[in-house]
Amino acid sequence: MTGALLAHGIGSRHDLPLSPFYAYAGAFTALLVSFLALGLLWSTSRFRGELAGRPLPAAVQRVADAPATRTTLRLLGAALALLVLLHLLLGPDDPDRNPAPGALYVLLWVGLVPASLLLGPVWRLLNPLRTLHALRPPRNPRPVPAAVGIRPAAAGLLVFTWLELVAPDNTSTTTLLIALAVHTGVQLLGAARYGDRWFAHADPFEVYSSLLARLSPLGRRADGRLVLRSPFHGLDSTPQTPGLVATVCVLLGSTAYDGLSDNPRWITTLQTSSLDPTLTATLGLLAVVALAAACYGLCAGALRLMDRSLTTPLTSFAHSLLPIALGYLVAHYFSLFVTEGPRTVIMAAGTDNALSPAPPLGPGGLATLQVAAIVTGHVLGVVAAHDRSVRLFPPARAVAGQLPLFLLMIAYTLGGIGLLIA
Amino acid sequence: MTRTRHPRGAATPLVSLVLVLAAAMPLAGCGGPATTHHKPGTTHEEASGSSGTLLPARDESGHRLREVPAATAPTVRVEARPDTEGGWNVHLTVERFRFTPDSTGGAALPGRGHARLLADGRETARLYGAWGYVPPGVRTLTVRLHADDHTVWAVDGAPVQATVRLDGAPATSAPPTPRPSGPATTTATAAPPSPRPSETGRTVTLTITGKTVEPPPSRIELKKGERLTLRVTGDRADTVHVHGYDREVPLSPGVPATLTLTADRTGLFEVETHESGLLLTQLVVR
Repeated sequence: MTGALLAHGIGSRHDLPLSPFYAYAGAFTALLVSFLALGLLWSTSRFRGELAGRPLPAAVQRVADAPATRTTLRLLGAALALLVLLHLLLGPDDPDRNPAPGALYVLLWVGLVPASLLLGPVWRLLNPLRTLHALRPPRNPRPVPAAVGIRPAAAGLLVFTWLELVAPDNTSTTTLLIALAVHTGVQLLGAARYGDRWFAHADPFEVYSSLLARLSPLGRRADGRLVLRSPFHGLDSTPQTPGLVATVCVLLGSTAYDGLSDNPRWITTLQTSSLDPTLTATLGLLAVVALAAACYGLCAGALRLMDRSLTTPLTSFAHSLLPIALGYLVAHYFSLFVTEGPRTVIMAAGTDNALSPAPPLGPGGLATLQVAAIVTGHVLGVVAAHDRSVRLFPPARAVAGQLPLFLLMIAYTLGGIGLLIA
Repeated sequence: MTRTRHPRGAATPLVSLVLVLAAAMPLAGCGGPATTHHKPGTTHEEASGSSGTLLPARDESGHRLREVPAATAPTVRVEARPDTEGGWNVHLTVERFRFTPDSTGGAALPGRGHARLLADGRETARLYGAWGYVPPGVRTLTVRLHADDHTVWAVDGAPVQATVRLDGAPATSAPPTPRPSGPATTTATAAPPSPRPSETGRTVTLTITGKTVEPPPSRIELKKGERLTLRVTGDRADTVHVHGYDREVPLSPGVPATLTLTADRTGLFEVETHESGLLLTQLVVR
């Protein structure tokens, strides 16, 4: 099968558009929750970030921190990466018979979501590039400049989503090998200069996994203990590094573009425009990301106008967009993961021409799950933003101060649901 | 059932030679099972066996009719179900009849033989069992029962057969309707018990000119199980591909290509051309 231009990375079945019933139900819930939150939620900050959490038994922590566990995970990550590489090099150039594209677009990219939500920042432990780097660590690495933050990772994520949603022939082994080579080159060169902390700043998958892990009930307290904690505490402890807004906007914008790219009108625009379709699609992806960022920028500007003492309006609330992005990720990728994920594993186990299993939920169930994911993300975001604003704003302005944020979130949520109807 | 045709008591070398020859016969390409090839009355001429009466009448393919009394005559009903890859799966229900592929070519025995499929009046295949397949494009399918000697079982001078229409109207035929008194021909085009959505479903016509698809890409809403026929005309050689269902049909310039499918998976599926990478339409199957 030739890689058709408009096809997504993997999977020939897309989710059904939402029926108006689910869309209205979701939108109404989102609005209601937002305004209830304004009036009813607490008036002093409750989330304590990295100070909160109930410690796990010492034995669990010993096992988790044991060098043997870490080495095993490293070896596991390296072995899996080697397997994918071998499939790319030696396997057939056909995503229906080669598990490598599915391993990248489904098992890694989508699978990191549940894995990070359950277990924390797993990719940091598995990352085969860290293993590769550990073979020849630099003698005296320089510190990563503070202004860099996680901006390289945001750029990397944008490139990856471009590869997934826009690039032509994005499942061909050649494309994937080139992408892998570029990624490895950039990461290892950076790590050779800045040491292994470079990965936490620049590896898109590591940053993606670490950010999602903020919503995991499993976390690490400031004193290093492994703890069980409410995801709100974890979310509150998201470091306000430069590039956080960019990263979140890339995640929001790319899932939104994923929804847009199913829309027949957008497809007609792509096919009939005088520009090259790939170029048009690239511009579309960039525009959606820029739109998400511009909305957030407007909102941050409004916050700054309301309270001059708020010096970092952009990063102060960026963490509250994470659950919204997570909601979109679940809504867009759930059925892909549960159908193409097993198929990729079956293919890797050696079955030729594996059938994709049917989605486990009917159309109604799937629509409910999608709307529930988006609305849950919205609620978590609203609560996180509320807590942050009662901490940052003086009590008199705390309620009014949240208004721009809530309007932004309502816009994102309605936009997200709207894209699923379209 | 092996039967060698050497005289008993012959010299041992002769026995072994004949055995070897007999064993080699199936390999020698003379076709047909060696064991039945030359049984009495098994030439390809109609045997004048005692089963029924051989009529002078012949069917379209030149087979003579073999008349039997209605009370003991075999009957056949046929049911056609659309296949998800196009075409039809055909199921025969026979009474007082057995499929006997082993003895085809032998003498006519009552209630034995095989069935032949006539697509739009032209004989296309035999059935040696209850199930068969008919490729797409056939409008009328007739199933006729033949005896082992290839004569057609007949009642009142008419062949024992069933007919089903595969276009437009009802595709599954034959709810067991009370047969008319002369039961020879069970024409199975009776209307189904309840009005169902038409089985060939909707037809959507698409035309590709350069990079423009007419009508522009949109969504075709289908109920699960509904049939859809896509009629695509392109201006260049290409392949139309329905994702998810993995159905393809080649396009030649200016000639409409038709692809019929049963929407049996829910979801959103894209219909694309391979070479030009154009999205033609999306199928929304609920």
